[in-house]
Amino acid sequence: MDFKKLTIGELRQGIDAKSFSAREVVMALMGEIEANADLGAFLEIFGKDAEAEAEAVDRAIADGMPLGPLAGIPIALKDNMAVSGKRVTAGSKILERYVASYDATVVKKLREAGAIIIGRTNMDEFAMGSSTETSAYFKTKNPFDRSRVPGGSSGGSAAAVGAGLVPAALGSDTGGSIRQPAAYCGAVGFKPTYGAVSRFGLFAMASSLDQIGPITRTVADAARVFDAIRGADPRDSTSTDADYGNLLNPDMAAVKQLKIGVPKEYFIDGIDANVARAVESALDKFRRAGFSIKEVSLPHTQYALSVYYIIMPAEVSTNLARFDGIRYGRAEGAERLIDIYRKTKGEGFGPEVIRRILLGTFVLSAGYYDAFYGKAQRVRRLIADDFHAAFDPASGVDVLFAPTTANPPFRFGEKSADPLSMYLEDLFTLPVNLAGLPAISIPVERIAPEGGKLPVGFQLIGRHFREADILGLGQWYEEN
Amino acid sequence: MISREELRHLADLARINIPEERESQLVHDLAGILKHFDELKSVKTDAVLPVTGGTELVGIVRDDTPSTLPGKTGVELFPESDEGFLKVPAVFSD
Repeated sequence: MDFKKLTIGELRQGIDAKSFSAREVVMALMGEIEANADLGAFLEIFGKDAEAEAEAVDRAIADGMPLGPLAGIPIALKDNMAVSGKRVTAGSKILERYVASYDATVVKKLREAGAIIIGRTNMDEFAMGSSTETSAYFKTKNPFDRSRVPGGSSGGSAAAVGAGLVPAALGSDTGGSIRQPAAYCGAVGFKPTYGAVSRFGLFAMASSLDQIGPITRTVADAARVFDAIRGADPRDSTSTDADYGNLLNPDMAAVKQLKIGVPKEYFIDGIDANVARAVESALDKFRRAGFSIKEVSLPHTQYALSVYYIIMPAEVSTNLARFDGIRYGRAEGAERLIDIYRKTKGEGFGPEVIRRILLGTFVLSAGYYDAFYGKAQRVRRLIADDFHAAFDPASGVDVLFAPTTANPPFRFGEKSADPLSMYLEDLFTLPVNLAGLPAISIPVERIAPEGGKLPVGFQLIGRHFREADILGLGQWYEEN
Repeated sequence: MISREELRHLADLARINIPEERESQLVHDLAGILKHFDELKSVKTDAVLPVTGGTELVGIVRDDTPSTLPGKTGVELFPESDEGFLKVPAVFSD
């Protein structure tokens, strides 16, 4: 049985029908992970624990116990989410020896749904990067062309799903870190509305932008995982419940009525010709099926990159202040308190993290605060208002259609020397985070890994807490 | 736009050691990024309220009940501890 191609839905059916056991699935996929070690997707596999969890699911089936919606489904975690008793490093040397003493809320919810936590995946250090090259551990390769990056920062999760090593993984998305690597690795990447999923137990990068979401093979699977992890959590005051309607079995007649907007600012000259052609072909599929499609404008889009690269580093510089050598890892050879702080951070953080901490410290410092941080907070409102106007219930559209990235996956080292060129990778994904909206990246077409073609993704963006719209439209695209 | 002295001051505020040989590259990188931010100057924002977080939820509270970490207390993770307490070097010293 080749489990590499099966979706969560197919795996669930097979386990329920006893065509195969949860243990068989987990052992076979762990074998695949071992066989693909050179891909560098995983930092650690929870071998014995995953096996024991799978056996527990099989016993529950044999005993006729009620099963959760993800019973027996192996899921990988980006290495910035806490699993009790396991190392969690956020891809950083500074947390090399840190062991979590509790489960993140998403981990708790996945377990309650019956999922099996199979391991932790590689990522850019503290989720800062668009290629997974800033990981302090090793590089992750793109399963479609191993000379290219998998995207980032959830590059390990996306590569694992893209290569068929797991049917699903969790990532975190601050400016595109779920959607961009998913697009690069031929997977579906879904960033829910800000507040839809608890961030308790996620190593914070930029707290007003971070959101956890799934990377999966299909849109239907993304809906399944989202349905299991969503919900208000007393331990995250920004999390909330909402009435999502029917996420798992969309009413296709209602989906066909959704009005699609195409923001002209996302179809610019700089887009790679192959990417532009592919994205246009996806839009054409909606057009031919008779969807209502019209051009819209999000006039402040051009400022999103600057706004993001002020607000995000500002929040980074405060969130990462706690890695000072007192409660987490400490550098050797410093005696005085102040030297412990300086040495631990100087030696423990990589260049990109240091760059962003300094940038954040600058934009928050007296004399520059109003001109940079204060200004960015105001322009952030204008960017969010653009979306609200486009989504106006009376005259607007329901869903926006856009490319996920302007380029195909790039080669290792291609953008490392120039931070700004790396930051431009997030151009089409980060405005969504500034506005807190839900968005999903979907592969334009299914292609085989290492067949000479590179994956391209397109994005559907929805109103706040209207994940049902983009998941429904995404499922329509997959089925037609 | 940013000098070496300013960079050292920022590193001091952030409590990060920066080796001298990396200073010029960092000055170059930060100057390039800050220059990009100039475009914001042209946006009129006098009448615009700042966005101060990811959500507009207010007054979110939970029950004020003590909770402990399951099993271990967390102290064992500290680089230095003494009888269940976090240990730090003297804060005030010469």
